[in-house]
Amino acid sequence: MRSLDQKLKEREEQRRRAFAALHNCDRRTFLQLSAKLAAVATAAGAGLAPHSFQIVELAHAAQKEGGETSFRFAYISDTHLYARGMSHRFVRAAMKAVEDVNALRPPPDFVLFGGDLAQLGQKEELDLGKQILSELKVPLRMMVGEHDWYLDMGDKWRDLFGEPVYSFDHKGVHFVTLNSVVEKDFWTERGMTPMERMVTVAGLDNPVQSRFEVGEEQRDWLAKDLAKVKKDTPVIVFSHSPLYKYYRNWNFWTEDADEVQKILFPFKSVTVIHGHTHQLLTNRIKNISFHGMLSTAWPWPYAPEGLPKITIQMDRADPFDQFDGCGDGTVGVRTDGQADKYYNLWDRSPVTVAYEQVASGKAAPAGPSY
Amino acid sequence: MRTALSISLTLVTLAAGFGVGRVVFARGPAGLGRHEEPATYRSVTACDRRKTVIVEGALPDQPLPAAKARQVAALLQDLMRFCDEEVTARMTSREEVFLSVNGLPYERYVLGSELPYLPAHGKPHTDREQAIWKAESDKIVKEGHRLFHSSDLGKNGISCDMCHPDASNTHPETYPKFQTQLKKVALLRDMVNWCIENPLEGPKLADDDPKMKAIEAYILHQRGGVALEPGKH
Amino acid sequence: MSGVFLRITVFSLFGALASPAIFAQTPEFRVPEGVLPPIIPADNPVTPAKIELGEKLYFDVRLSLDDTVSCASCHDPRKGFADGRRVSEGVGKKTGVRNAPTVLNAAYFEQQFWDGRVATLEEQAKQPLVNPVEMAMPSHAAVEQKLAAVAEYAPLFQKAFGDPRITIDRVAMAVASFERTLISFSAPIDRFLAGDEKAISDSAKRGWALFNGKARCNTCHGHVGVLPTFTDNQFHNIGVAAKSHDFEALARQVANATEEIPDLAHQPGATELGRFLVTRERPHIGAFKTPGLRNVELTGPYMHDGSEPTLEAVIDFYDRGGEPNPFLDGGMRPLNLAAEEKKDLVELMKAFTSDDLARFEPLAKLMQ
Repeated sequence: MRSLDQKLKEREEQRRRAFAALHNCDRRTFLQLSAKLAAVATAAGAGLAPHSFQIVELAHAAQKEGGETSFRFAYISDTHLYARGMSHRFVRAAMKAVEDVNALRPPPDFVLFGGDLAQLGQKEELDLGKQILSELKVPLRMMVGEHDWYLDMGDKWRDLFGEPVYSFDHKGVHFVTLNSVVEKDFWTERGMTPMERMVTVAGLDNPVQSRFEVGEEQRDWLAKDLAKVKKDTPVIVFSHSPLYKYYRNWNFWTEDADEVQKILFPFKSVTVIHGHTHQLLTNRIKNISFHGMLSTAWPWPYAPEGLPKITIQMDRADPFDQFDGCGDGTVGVRTDGQADKYYNLWDRSPVTVAYEQVASGKAAPAGPSY
Repeated sequence: MRTALSISLTLVTLAAGFGVGRVVFARGPAGLGRHEEPATYRSVTACDRRKTVIVEGALPDQPLPAAKARQVAALLQDLMRFCDEEVTARMTSREEVFLSVNGLPYERYVLGSELPYLPAHGKPHTDREQAIWKAESDKIVKEGHRLFHSSDLGKNGISCDMCHPDASNTHPETYPKFQTQLKKVALLRDMVNWCIENPLEGPKLADDDPKMKAIEAYILHQRGGVALEPGKH
Repeated sequence: MSGVFLRITVFSLFGALASPAIFAQTPEFRVPEGVLPPIIPADNPVTPAKIELGEKLYFDVRLSLDDTVSCASCHDPRKGFADGRRVSEGVGKKTGVRNAPTVLNAAYFEQQFWDGRVATLEEQAKQPLVNPVEMAMPSHAAVEQKLAAVAEYAPLFQKAFGDPRITIDRVAMAVASFERTLISFSAPIDRFLAGDEKAISDSAKRGWALFNGKARCNTCHGHVGVLPTFTDNQFHNIGVAAKSHDFEALARQVANATEEIPDLAHQPGATELGRFLVTRERPHIGAFKTPGLRNVELTGPYMHDGSEPTLEAVIDFYDRGGEPNPFLDGGMRPLNLAAEEKKDLVELMKAFTSDDLARFEPLAKLMQ
């Protein structure tokens, strides 16, 4: 049996050879090599995108059967800002993400902010968030999270960013942004103050709150919105919570996910990009691919049950390293409308989850479960 | 008298004089312990052959008085609840009952209560006692839950539950272990303190601080049933 | 002090040797009880003959192009086995790009060089010989030829390796064997940790509490009883080079470079990518090896580029949370240390200075 040392040496040697080869290869060979190396999540490479240091240049990442990358957008999510000065760890992390996105070459078409800008929905927190995000050099698409919402039921957020539910078209793809963190009123009968309500919702493991849902009103709106869209037009949905049922106790869950999915099933290509779960997370239900976003603030452990089997799990994060398990990333939208998801894990090597991997439905090796 | 017996599903053993069933006569059964040996007695055994009542003061060759017979029947019926045990009951002439369970010394018994335990086994915990203890334990766990979900331990608004919902990923069962980043063998409380000082940027707690105890209580409580694996990484 | 001999069989021979090697005559060389032995490759067991040869080579300036530079020039026993310079000076006063680390206890490091590009002292010893700004020999073959022309070496190689053949591998094996004797684990901090409350000052004691708490030093430099080198043997970007370089531009440049790792490591600019040059992994951009802290008082200036002149400056650097850059280690953050606390940390670092360095005085004399 090979020792760990030998394995590490072999890995290093493999990588060294790969890089040597990259220096002198044509584009075709490059892409073959890229695919191989991306599979082991190897970093750095020729003509590399400056923040990625991944061997695959993202703009050309997916030249496979399904077609080349048509465009990409970046994401920053779950910053959970406190208005406690610019040296607060979460503020520094959010600024790091903004710098990452600004350094992308070529720049992404836009940036999605995945919700939970603030920690407790306070004006100061949201203002600070707006200020940090205003440093972005590309257009910003905002999504709301429960941490932004439940102090004033979205008043301040709407003042700053407008309506949270909207759709738009970009390069042949129909985008929809939902507010999936609607909760049934649990606070009135308990006589809760707005802050008590906020703190309750902010607690992941707080059983007092109700479960997230998109709600009937939005589902009707969604059905109407999509009625105008041709079934072969790629659809990408942004939702803060995963639009499926993963783990109810932590609201890694959308109560009416099944009904929302039903609205999306008729479309040829659907991708849901969600926040909230702070972890590498991938799922596939029929025609719908689901990808989680990383948080800039902290990673969450996987829930004790319900993890979709195709998810490549991240290892336990090192609590001694603020950035470990955190990050930002991009989504490469291909000409066929499918998406390759890129997790820019800050203190680890980045990971690409290619559409082929998702579509294969292959179970990922079981990861650490704590 | 017969009606009293007929409600019993299994009482087939009857005192002498009932006319049916089996009567066991014995003299001077062993194990009467500290009690004075009665002048006369007779015993009645239930159909399972495992429950016997020794009726002190009863005359071996005469039927039991009807009232006594009813009491004996009621006692046997009661003892049938303990179907797995070998029970000998001694009913004194003053109608106190002592039980010997599985051949062990006699202990006082009140009809309808649980089987008596021996002093060597310690006293059984009463429901009341257990309720008190549970309430006290719950209190510290609840306080731990509060602290775990509160930003009061730190100075930057962060709380434990933000990274550890339901105390997940705390793996208390793996301590003590070499905590690679602390560069030493750590107990759960050392790691709790590390988290307080670092992500939470607060002052660490003394090992015997009630807050520390509460936090540990909550975390351990959440991981109940998980096997200990000290040293595991 | 109680201790066990590192290699009892080796050192018990010393008395019987009529060896000119000075170090081989210092029988008090020992590893404290409970401390792991240093890393010794299976194919290069330490022997007195190799130590003797290695010591001679280590101090021999003839290993350099113009007979001016030896290993000891930059790893000087009088200067804590470092050189006291910001960056080292090679032949013709040429300067390199990195600060010379101490050789003391280098036998315990799992990787050598600031970027950890080689695993053993043997491999390490070979590179400075042919580095144009260090010993500047044109090739390893040239080193072999040059030594072959020095009559006194053949018998020493004979004794160490069984025949007089001089090869670069043997040179490296001998030098590494000598370096494995340069071990010191005897400092006030060790006595303090063993329970002697008086071994260090009150200020240093406060520093120790800070070291393991507020100042977060122990995250990378923590004390491990069985391996008390005060390093995690890992690589971290603490932002040293970000003070003067743009990592992203550098990484782009290096991504298309065709040079070998040692060549890149010597280039101004590229060198600042540190561990990334070896692994090409993003988290390693600008990451350098955590050095041990023993004798840190003697081995300034500090950091891989010698950019911090004093211990006080180092503490200030960490107090600022290092230098922000996109690849800054997630463990770095401003510490908000008070002036007194900084002094306490400096006092603590002085308690890391070995009190058994007199053992090496015979070696220091070889420098005169």
